[in-house]
Amino acid sequence: MATVLQEPKIWAKELLLNGCQAVAQGVKLADVDVIAAYPIRPYTEVMDALSKIIADGELDSEYIVADSEHSQFEIVKHASSVGARAFAGSSGTGWMYGFEALVVTATDRLSPLFLVGNRALDDPGAFGVEHNDALSIRDMGWLLCWASTAQEALEHVLIGYRIAEDNRVRMPMALAMDGAFLTHSQHMVKLPTQEAVRRFLPPYDLGKRVMHPDNPVSIAPQVNEDWVMELRRQNWEAARRAKDVVAQAYKEYNEIFGSRYTTPYFDEFMTEDAEVVLIGLGAVAMPARTAVRRLREKGKKVGYVNLRWFRPFPSEELRAALGRIKAVGVIDRDFAHGSPDSGGIVVHDIRSCLYPLTNRPAIANFIGGLGGRDISIDDCIRMFEVTSQAPNRAPGDELVTWIGLRE
Amino acid sequence: MIKRVEVNYRGIFQKNLGKYIGSDIVMIASRMGKVAFSNGRYSDSPERNGIPCKYFAFVSPDLSEEELEAECGAKLDIDEADVSVVLDETMVKGVEPWGWHGVRPINEKVREKGCLLVVARHPHDELLEFIGKKPYHYRLATLDGDASLAGLWVNKDDLTRERVLGAIAAVDPGIISIEAVEAHLLEKTKDEHRAQAARDAYNATLHRIKLVAPGEGIDWPHEVPVLPKWHEFEEGGVVVPAVKRGFELGPRGQTRNDAFKRGTTKTHRPVVRFDLCIKCTLCWLDCPDECFDPTDDGLYDVNYEVCVGCHKCAAVCPVPECIVMVDELKFHDDSSPWEAHKRNPAEYIKWAEEKKGTVRLNYPHVTGTGYEVTEGKTVPPKTTAASGTKAGSQA
Repeated sequence: MATVLQEPKIWAKELLLNGCQAVAQGVKLADVDVIAAYPIRPYTEVMDALSKIIADGELDSEYIVADSEHSQFEIVKHASSVGARAFAGSSGTGWMYGFEALVVTATDRLSPLFLVGNRALDDPGAFGVEHNDALSIRDMGWLLCWASTAQEALEHVLIGYRIAEDNRVRMPMALAMDGAFLTHSQHMVKLPTQEAVRRFLPPYDLGKRVMHPDNPVSIAPQVNEDWVMELRRQNWEAARRAKDVVAQAYKEYNEIFGSRYTTPYFDEFMTEDAEVVLIGLGAVAMPARTAVRRLREKGKKVGYVNLRWFRPFPSEELRAALGRIKAVGVIDRDFAHGSPDSGGIVVHDIRSCLYPLTNRPAIANFIGGLGGRDISIDDCIRMFEVTSQAPNRAPGDELVTWIGLRE
Repeated sequence: MIKRVEVNYRGIFQKNLGKYIGSDIVMIASRMGKVAFSNGRYSDSPERNGIPCKYFAFVSPDLSEEELEAECGAKLDIDEADVSVVLDETMVKGVEPWGWHGVRPINEKVREKGCLLVVARHPHDELLEFIGKKPYHYRLATLDGDASLAGLWVNKDDLTRERVLGAIAAVDPGIISIEAVEAHLLEKTKDEHRAQAARDAYNATLHRIKLVAPGEGIDWPHEVPVLPKWHEFEEGGVVVPAVKRGFELGPRGQTRNDAFKRGTTKTHRPVVRFDLCIKCTLCWLDCPDECFDPTDDGLYDVNYEVCVGCHKCAAVCPVPECIVMVDELKFHDDSSPWEAHKRNPAEYIKWAEEKKGTVRLNYPHVTGTGYEVTEGKTVPPKTTAASGTKAGSQA
């Protein structure tokens, strides 16, 4: 009964939105003060949607079209330092072009939120999804998470600001979303009421760090070997503290909006008694979950873990979830050429996180879906089969299987 | 055993000179059968005009290259020096070789019985008026000459390099011998007068070495800053916890970073005749380092602790004789000139004119080939108050 009475106060309406538009609605609900824009597919539709929202008078925000991604990111960094909630986004090589601004946004410990519409890096004409763009920020003191539905994308704009702006964290937030498969897929999306969002997301308050004529501060003065270690140590500490802040944010999100997220860091699908599990980031969850269902119908004990947060990385949580599994297959929609055992990026973090376990699962790694290529249900079934053989592999056997490659 | 040579040079203007001296020491020591290597450490990064920086050379008769580099190769600074070379005598007032380390005595690294070797025009005793006390004996040697200041990233080939090598051989032949210096220069340059310059400097330096007694020198007025632990300062790039925020009229009224003043960069300082000032604000406005503190009477005090001696204020001041650049070694403290002026204007004017003397400098032109501070016009002595007359009448 109580839920029924509460429903109208929490959810305002339901709209058919693609991923980009859902993010724009999230930005509107977060009452963002400064938006810097520069077009690149597939992110472009986010800035399009926001410009319309502002033109329609639905959001009062500075909307600045920059001359490049570098300027775009600098604008939101500076806006963030004066206490403005700021938003920008990009894709692929556009993201990389602004990298200098991205790394200092983290070292300056400011909290704008960025949408990364994942895109390949950037063989001519490669517009499709690949995760290397967003993953490039993983070691730089950023929060980094993937949305796997348009609804999640909207909600993670709110959750993202809440975590990034928390005084214990103060790190920039990258919200990644698979190009095309999510950015351009339309789904019914429930929009929370402004009042409910206000309850969840407090105003951005930099406190005594805010740059203002009445509060003159020096941000990012010259530092040298006498300071950099201490600054990195502070950032390291903040990234560790973020673990608790993430958990608290989801707990309160669930309290206000209903229990939408059972765990903050990843979703488990049919893993309770699973012996073979695949894990991946982003939209690959869709075919993977269907593959799990089909294999379960045949009596196979398989499951899927949809990894949401990559930074902070959920080490303890993954150890608890995967420690009892016989074999884990890691799907990398990215590459890390020349890395250990020639694996992708994600497999290294997962393998490293599981290493301290006495009975650690066997690991298989899959590189697939690069440049936007499909990963089909049949591909996922094949990955389960290969992964189930991983415990029989001899040391030195190939770790990686390429999926969907013409060969 | 390791012999350590520290070369204190003025950033950019003497960068190549410092580097060449370091590499020459390596080449000369090598031909003497020793193991040696040299490295540089830039200061206020990126290295800037005139800021004190260091080059090092290390020589060992018995260690392997691997051991020598392990001892000396990956360190920011050295613990002690057998010879500290000073390529510009104004650095005897102290150096800030690294940001945030405070103003350090020029002889800080000189070990017992080691040598501080200064390219100088002033005699030993006058230099010691600026140098901190040591608890042990060490030697102070001078090599007669002006600071060789080159242009941006170039080298002024005025034989300073060869003469310094000769002087190092004079103060510590255990590092390089004069014979090896001469042989190296002859072989490398086929130029007899370069070897001769080294030999002449060697002979001259032998007679210009003073043994400095324990306690001789000054009580060092600058403290070493204590930097906070990682959890003791505000997170997030607001990393100057030592700087209080605020602004007040008067001397030292603007907040500045006490741990990194950079005043040791200057070779000349601006002397201000406050009685001539027309309050045009240009010195305050154009100073790149915001050294001018506004005062309640509309004048601008100079904070010499942070002035880097760039000459800009003197260049933009429209009133002749109002701001004049004067040799830094004529001053023994950084106290407020405006306060001195307020206490007794007539006495201050007399003092200022004495410091200025009658010879004016031509402001330096930093070009691709050289950095020159040359003597300019001579002005008639003037030691009385201007009493309302504009100094333009002097020109």
